[in-house]
Amino acid sequence: MAQAEAFETDFWKDANLRKVWDDIVPGEPRKTIPYTLTKEAIELYCKSVGEDHPIYFDEAYAKTTRYGGLIAPPSIHILLMFSCTPADDWMRSPGTVNAGQSWSYNIPARPNDVITLQARALDKFIKRERLFVVHDNVFFNQKGDVICSGRGWTIRPM
Amino acid sequence: MTATFDNLSAGDIIDGPKFAVSRESIRLFCDASLDYNPLHLDDNYMKGNFGKTNFGGIIMHGMNNFGLISRMITDWACPAGAVHRRLETRWVKPVRPGDTIQPSGIIKAKQSTEKSRWVLIDVVVKNQAGEKVATGEALVEFPRDLFCQ
Repeated sequence: MAQAEAFETDFWKDANLRKVWDDIVPGEPRKTIPYTLTKEAIELYCKSVGEDHPIYFDEAYAKTTRYGGLIAPPSIHILLMFSCTPADDWMRSPGTVNAGQSWSYNIPARPNDVITLQARALDKFIKRERLFVVHDNVFFNQKGDVICSGRGWTIRPM
Repeated sequence: MTATFDNLSAGDIIDGPKFAVSRESIRLFCDASLDYNPLHLDDNYMKGNFGKTNFGGIIMHGMNNFGLISRMITDWACPAGAVHRRLETRWVKPVRPGDTIQPSGIIKAKQSTEKSRWVLIDVVVKNQAGEKVATGEALVEFPRDLFCQ
């Protein structure tokens, strides 16, 4: 997979560099990196969840819609969370369990958008002997428009 | 029949797509999302305990559920000229290779605001045994000037 070739797929490799629950400071920004979203990355994501609407694939059709061109599905932030963060980001810690997410959608991401992320841990707590972190994220396009914003609740590895 | 804001009622059902989960579908989701957490790849790692939890083998990404629900919502909303605005989910049971899952929705409420119209939808994903694996709530906007084609 083209995008995976430049991406460290072994999440153990930098595990010792990542913050554990004790180190995570709610409110402190996470390091993020800009990412150019490609048509190919959108198509691969669509394939993985069975998205088949022509608005994601068929440029001629997409031009006839109010969007005026191809867009990505709203849930493309699933990819953007990993593509916009570096290898030592704690979201990649092996054993990170996703407990829930909430996302709001403003405008669609599009092929060739240069996406940036503003992200932080917002809260951390202990519940039923499990270590939780709430993370807070906003994705922007190259014009500074908000694409989507969301929160996630993860259980940290112990 | 394509939904319109006026013809929708609380209790109306939205059927989502069935999705067969396999090691290959999970691996494809790893490549598509760049989430290579060993929870989804490494059977030996998954023999261990996670606090009080033992999954007993690799599990599907929770966000694969999220993507399926989102697909159901956009496929339902777009022909109606409506826009998928929000999705909140919780994972309640792990999904494993060999499972078949299916999202569905039920209209919970409609609300008009100063500038637009909104539909709240309870969503659930069930496995082949009818067990809930994810639950949540979606919000769809029906603009007064319809948006999609």
